[in-house]
Amino acid sequence: MKGFFSKEKWKYAFYTVSHPMDAYYEIRHRERGCVPIAILLVILFSLSFSINRIAANFIVNDIDPLDVNATTELIAVLLLYLLFCVGNWSITCLMGGEGRLKDIVIAVGYAMTPMILCFNLGTVFSQFVTEDEGAFYGIVVALGIAYSLLMMLMGIMQVHNYTLGKTLITLFLTFVAMFIIIFVALLLFDLLNQVYNFFYSIYQELIFRV
Amino acid sequence: MKRTKKIIGAVGFAIAFLFSSLIPSEVVRAEELPYDTYNYNYRENVVITPAAYVPAGSVTGQDVGTSGFNEPQDFCKAADGKIYIADTKNNRIVVLNRDMTETVRVIDSFCRNGEEDGFKMPQGVCISENNQLYVADTENKRIVVLTPEGEFVKQIDNPQSEILEDGFEFVPLKVTVDYADRVYCIAKNAFEGILVFEENGSFTGYYGTIEVKISLWEKFWKRLASKEERSKQQLYIPTEFTGIDIDSDGFVYASNIDSDGLQGVRRLNPRGEDVIQKGENKNLGGDLQFGVYGTYGGASEFVDVVYRGKGMYSLLDRKRGRIFTYDKEGNLLYIFGGLGSQKGTFTTPIAIETIGDQIIVLDANQGAILKFNATQYGSLINEAVGLRYDGDEEQAIEKWQEVLRLDENNELANTGIGKAYLTAGDNKTAMHYLKLGMNRKYYSIAFRRYRNEILSKNMSTIMTLLIVLIVAAGAYRKFFRDKVREKLGKKPIQPSKKGGLT
Repeated sequence: MKGFFSKEKWKYAFYTVSHPMDAYYEIRHRERGCVPIAILLVILFSLSFSINRIAANFIVNDIDPLDVNATTELIAVLLLYLLFCVGNWSITCLMGGEGRLKDIVIAVGYAMTPMILCFNLGTVFSQFVTEDEGAFYGIVVALGIAYSLLMMLMGIMQVHNYTLGKTLITLFLTFVAMFIIIFVALLLFDLLNQVYNFFYSIYQELIFRV
Repeated sequence: MKRTKKIIGAVGFAIAFLFSSLIPSEVVRAEELPYDTYNYNYRENVVITPAAYVPAGSVTGQDVGTSGFNEPQDFCKAADGKIYIADTKNNRIVVLNRDMTETVRVIDSFCRNGEEDGFKMPQGVCISENNQLYVADTENKRIVVLTPEGEFVKQIDNPQSEILEDGFEFVPLKVTVDYADRVYCIAKNAFEGILVFEENGSFTGYYGTIEVKISLWEKFWKRLASKEERSKQQLYIPTEFTGIDIDSDGFVYASNIDSDGLQGVRRLNPRGEDVIQKGENKNLGGDLQFGVYGTYGGASEFVDVVYRGKGMYSLLDRKRGRIFTYDKEGNLLYIFGGLGSQKGTFTTPIAIETIGDQIIVLDANQGAILKFNATQYGSLINEAVGLRYDGDEEQAIEKWQEVLRLDENNELANTGIGKAYLTAGDNKTAMHYLKLGMNRKYYSIAFRRYRNEILSKNMSTIMTLLIVLIVAAGAYRKFFRDKVREKLGKKPIQPSKKGGLT
C-alpha cells in the first residue's frame, strides 16, 4: 500500500495539473499514475462539492443546506465515475483505443484536482465577497470546472492516443453506452425481482399447503 | 445547608409557576383555530407562524334584524363606519351600523325622475369620498349613484365610444370611485381593462390592460396549426379583473386571477400603468407552493383586494380561502384563513374589507360577514410595517423586536432590525440580523462596511506583515535556498532551466 501512496505518486498528481499532456502520456506508458490516488481524488471532489454547497456564503449560494446530503452525493459521484469509466472503456476497446481501464480511471480521477482546489477556494472566498462581487466567486468555480473538463478530455485523448475529433466522438458514444448500461441494469434488476417474486410465491404456496 | 437551599428553590419555583399560570397569555394556541397562519421563508418553504388574525364571529342577515342575505357579492365601508352590502339576489343594498349589530337602512328602491326604480342583481357597491353611494346594478346594465340615504343622484349607463366593440354590452360587476369622482368599473367581458367614467358619466376609455403572455412554444404550435385547427383552439384573451380598491392618492388596486400564480394584483397609476412593487422573489401571486390537481390544487385565485393604508394591502383567495397580506415592497407579511364549515372558515369568500385593524370578509354562500381580529402578533407586524412606511425606523425596531420574541424566525423582523443597526453604524450586529433575515442586498452593504472597517483599522499591521514577507521571500531566494537544498542533499535549482519533474 505504501507504494501506492508514495510521495512521488502524489507529486505526480499535481504535475498532471501543470503538464497534462506529458503527464497523461507517461501515465499510460511509464506507470506513473496510481488508481487508489485517483479514487481518493474523486472522493475528495465529492466532499468538496458537498462542502461547497453547504458552507458557501448565502450571498452566492442558492442551495438550502438542509437539502444537501453528503453521503448520497458521494455514492452518486462514485457510481457516475464507475459508469463513465466502464462506458468509456467498452467504447474505446472497440475503437482502437490504447488505454486500459486502469488508465481511464486514473485519467478521470486525476482530472478532479482543479475542481477540488477551486471548490474549496471558492467556499473560503465566498465568505469575503459582497453581492456584486459574487461574479468573482462564480469565476473561481467555473475556472475549476472548465480546467477539470479540459484535463479529462486531454487525459482520454492521451491514454488512448486519439486525435481530438475521435476523442469527442468516443465521448459521445460513451454517453450512449452509459445509457445502455443503465437501461440493461434496470432491466436486469426488474427481471431478477420477478424471478425472486416467483420463487417467493412458490415458497408461500408451499408454506400454506404443507 | 444544601437541603434548605433545595427547599427554597422548590418553593420559589412553585410560586413562579403559580403566578405564570395566573397571568393571562395573549398568544392564541394554534390548535384552537380552524386554520394555520403561515408565511413563506426565503427558500419558499412554508413556515407556520403564530396566529396573526383570529375569528371574531360572523354577522348574518338575521343577526342584524333583516331577512337573510342571498348570495351577496360585494360590500364596502363608508368613512363614517357604516357597512354597505350589495345583497345581490335580494336586489337590495343593506346598510349596517358601525359595529355591525343592526340594520340602519335597506335600499331596495329609489325614485328616479319621478318614477319608482329598483336594482336587479347589484354585484358591486362603493362609497365615494364625497359620501355618495355607487352601485353596480349588474342586470340593469348601469351604475346607479345615490345619496347614502338612498335618494337618486344620477346613473351611468350605455357608454359610447369608438374604442368599444359594436354590440358591446355594459354589464358592470365591481365599481370604485377616486377623489375626483372618476368612476372605475370592472365589467363583464371587458378584457381590455377597467372602464373609466368621468364625473359627468362620459366614458373616457380603458385602463390598466393586462397583457396576454404567449410563450414561444405556444407561438410555435400556432404556426404549425392549420387555419381550421387554429379556429378550434382556445383564444388567448387576457384575464379579467376581479376586485378593485383605491388608495387616497388615487392609485387603483385591482386583483385578477393568474393561473400561473405570478401576479394576482396590480397597482395602477393614473395613466393605467402597473406600478406595484414586487419582493425579492418577484411574486405577487399568493401561495408559492400548491398541489396541481383537484379542486384544491392550482395557483391562488384572488377575488378581491383591500388597501389597508401604509402601503399594505390584503388579497382574498377563493381557491383555498386564504387571505394574503403584502406590504408596500411586496413582502408577504402573513397568510391565514381557510375553507370549511367550521366557525371562522369560508365556503365562497367573495369580498374583503378592513375596519381599522380588523379584517372582515363577505361569504356569498353563507350570506354572512366573517370578522377577524388582529392578535398581538398581527398588530405588531401591522404597526412595524406602518412605522417603516412613515420612515420612523427607530420605533419600528422596537416593534420588530417584539415580533421576534413571538416568532424568532420572522425574516422581515430580522431584516428590519438589521437595517436599523446598519443605519446606526453597528455593522457587525447588522450582519448578524440581516443574515437571519436572508437579505442579500443589505447584508452585502453591511459586510462591505464591516470589511472596510477591519481593513482600515489594521492597515498598518497588514502592510507591515506583507512587506516583511516579501523581503523575507526575496532574501531566502537570494541567499539561503541553495544552501538549504545543499544541506538536504538536493541539487540547487537552476532558474534558467525549464522543464518538468521528470
